[in-house]
Amino acid sequence: MLEIRFHGRGGQGAVVASELLAQAVFFDGKVAQSFPFFGVERRGAPVTAFTRIDDQPIRLRSFIENPDVVVVLDPGLLRDTPVTEGLKPGGLLLVNSPRPPEAFSLPLGGRIATLDATGIALGRKVGTATMPVVNTAVLGALARATGAFTETSLERAIISFVPSHPEENRAAARDGAEAVRTEPVAPSTVAPAPAPPAAPLPFPEGPMASRPSHVLHTSSWRTLRPVIDRDRCTRCNFCWEFCPDDAFDLDAEGYPLVRLSYCKGCGICATECPPDAIQMVTEA
Amino acid sequence: MAKLTIPRQELMYSGHAACPGCGPALAMRLLLKGLGPRTVVSVPASCWTVIATPYPTTALGVGMLDNAIEATGASISGLRAAADALGLGDLNVVGFAGDGGTADIGLQSLSGMLERGTDALYVMYDNEAYMNTGVQRSSATPQGAWTTTTPVAGEARGKLEPKKDIMAIVLAHHPVYAATLNPSFPEDFVRKVEKARERKGPRFFHVYAACPPGWRYDSDQTIELGRLATYAGIFPLYEVEMGRLRITRRMGQLKPVEEYLKAQGRFRHFSPEEVQQVQEQARARWDDLLARERAANPPERAAVPGEPASPALPPPVAGEALGRT
Ligand SMILES: Cc1ncc(C[n+]2csc(CCOP(=O)(O)OP(=O)(O)O)c2C)c(N)n1
Ligand code: SF4
Ligand code: SF4
Ligand code: SF4
Ligand SMILES: [Mg+2]
Repeated sequence: MLEIRFHGRGGQGAVVASELLAQAVFFDGKVAQSFPFFGVERRGAPVTAFTRIDDQPIRLRSFIENPDVVVVLDPGLLRDTPVTEGLKPGGLLLVNSPRPPEAFSLPLGGRIATLDATGIALGRKVGTATMPVVNTAVLGALARATGAFTETSLERAIISFVPSHPEENRAAARDGAEAVRTEPVAPSTVAPAPAPPAAPLPFPEGPMASRPSHVLHTSSWRTLRPVIDRDRCTRCNFCWEFCPDDAFDLDAEGYPLVRLSYCKGCGICATECPPDAIQMVTEA
Repeated sequence: MAKLTIPRQELMYSGHAACPGCGPALAMRLLLKGLGPRTVVSVPASCWTVIATPYPTTALGVGMLDNAIEATGASISGLRAAADALGLGDLNVVGFAGDGGTADIGLQSLSGMLERGTDALYVMYDNEAYMNTGVQRSSATPQGAWTTTTPVAGEARGKLEPKKDIMAIVLAHHPVYAATLNPSFPEDFVRKVEKARERKGPRFFHVYAACPPGWRYDSDQTIELGRLATYAGIFPLYEVEMGRLRITRRMGQLKPVEEYLKAQGRFRHFSPEEVQQVQEQARARWDDLLARERAANPPERAAVPGEPASPALPPPVAGEALGRT
């Protein structure tokens, strides 16, 4: 049995990816199981989904704690989610990132694969510029990197089950298969550091009601960030007025400053700025 | 620097758990700017309970009561009684509930609070469906709109029934102050909040609250959609004070509704006839408001010798005269 765990963000299609993968496996004549981790689903919020693949009926019903493969749809997740937790030694980590596999590490050894699925999705116009849907490109890469299901069956699943723009999604899957690069990584020779104590909460223990949410950062929710051109800015404050995340400060002269720890990249400020002084640029 | 037209103080914190571009999040931010820190908010099960409470924190810089979805009206009657008993007469007691929690599940509780004359502000943020549980239709979902429980496929053309008129239901209780608000018009929004804050007795807000994932549009369009809604007569802005209606955003000519409908995936299946129907409803809604405004504010009649002067407006029907809870 092959167990795969997907980590993504609401809107990127992690849950749909796990389901499309299961469909492709069925088309291959094998058995699959897919299900999401039940939680709050918000565009941008971390989402987990699971797929099992086998030649015979699967009776397990638990979450996947020790996956053979971990798929990360958003490299930003690597910052604050322990995505490789439980990954089997020798397992595969597949990351949507423009960086090469060597840029990442696996302490227990295994294989690392990367591809720029965001670039592919933007190029194929899958999803929107604010929320590119990277799942099909990543699945193409997963097929190529694991060989656990055929690319033909994946394309058939996409054409049969993706409701909007199936052709563009199929093209993205092909691009993903071509673009992926896989490298073996040796286990780290350094003895693994003892597990660090649980990270302290960013505030003292005590009644929770008094802890403001701004101790939590939402920067990793976004795929685009606003960049302000001060020379064009007329200091009208519209961007500040309309931001649903209160992600602006006004400096002493009244110019807006984006508080990037909180901006979720919705694009409202750029759309509302009268002199077009704000551009949304892709996050590196 | 240009002078700020709304208060600078922020009582809704960043780091909250709303989707990017969430209309209800901006609505709360503006509401608290107008109310200030002497406020307690009762929030029933809805997107906003999740937005406000990313564990282990709160996104509200004021007190919050997390209450059951059917009980917002009752909960603010209780909060008012408790505040008064504690000598906190100046505390703003506010209920902040979704359309499902207000127009469907909590309707009796809202009616009870209005009828008892509770000195509190009830806010219904209207994202026109049960969003927190994944876009199920509510009685406030517009006719024809796609939701997961009113699909669009083959014969099925979205929600069959028209949107429930919550303002008419509320006004039948003769509240002290009731108004429609839209975060795309922040100055009008905050002015109404400040006005409501100064009144005693039951008050009600119907707040337009656009939802990118539920309405199927790109998150940067939230403000523009709200503007279109008001300019097209889909969500006109007005206030009703002691029974007297006043339009607060006047349009010489309504914008065509088509632009508003076409911008959202939930209406994208509309035929020209369906668009036309929404157009006619918008026209009728606007004409009705204009007529009610005229009726509430009759023009002074020119004094004709021998005839009595125009009659004075009737006295207020609700308000200070009513006892508190
Ligand atoms: C009595 C009851 N029924 C159902 C639920 C589940 N529930 C939680 S939030 C929610 C959606 C409420 O919709 P609405 O009031 O419109 O707020 P929104 O989520 O759209 O912001 C539902 C149905 C509940 N909490 N209590
Ligand atoms: S994109 Fe602009 S409006 Fe949206 S969260 Fe970021 S700063 Fe706020
Ligand atoms: S909306 Fe544009 S012009 Fe106005 S303050 Fe913001 S950046 Fe400057
Ligand atoms: S689903 Fe809609 S209302 Fe709920 S948090 Fe997201 S944008 Fe806001
Ligand atoms: Mg709702």
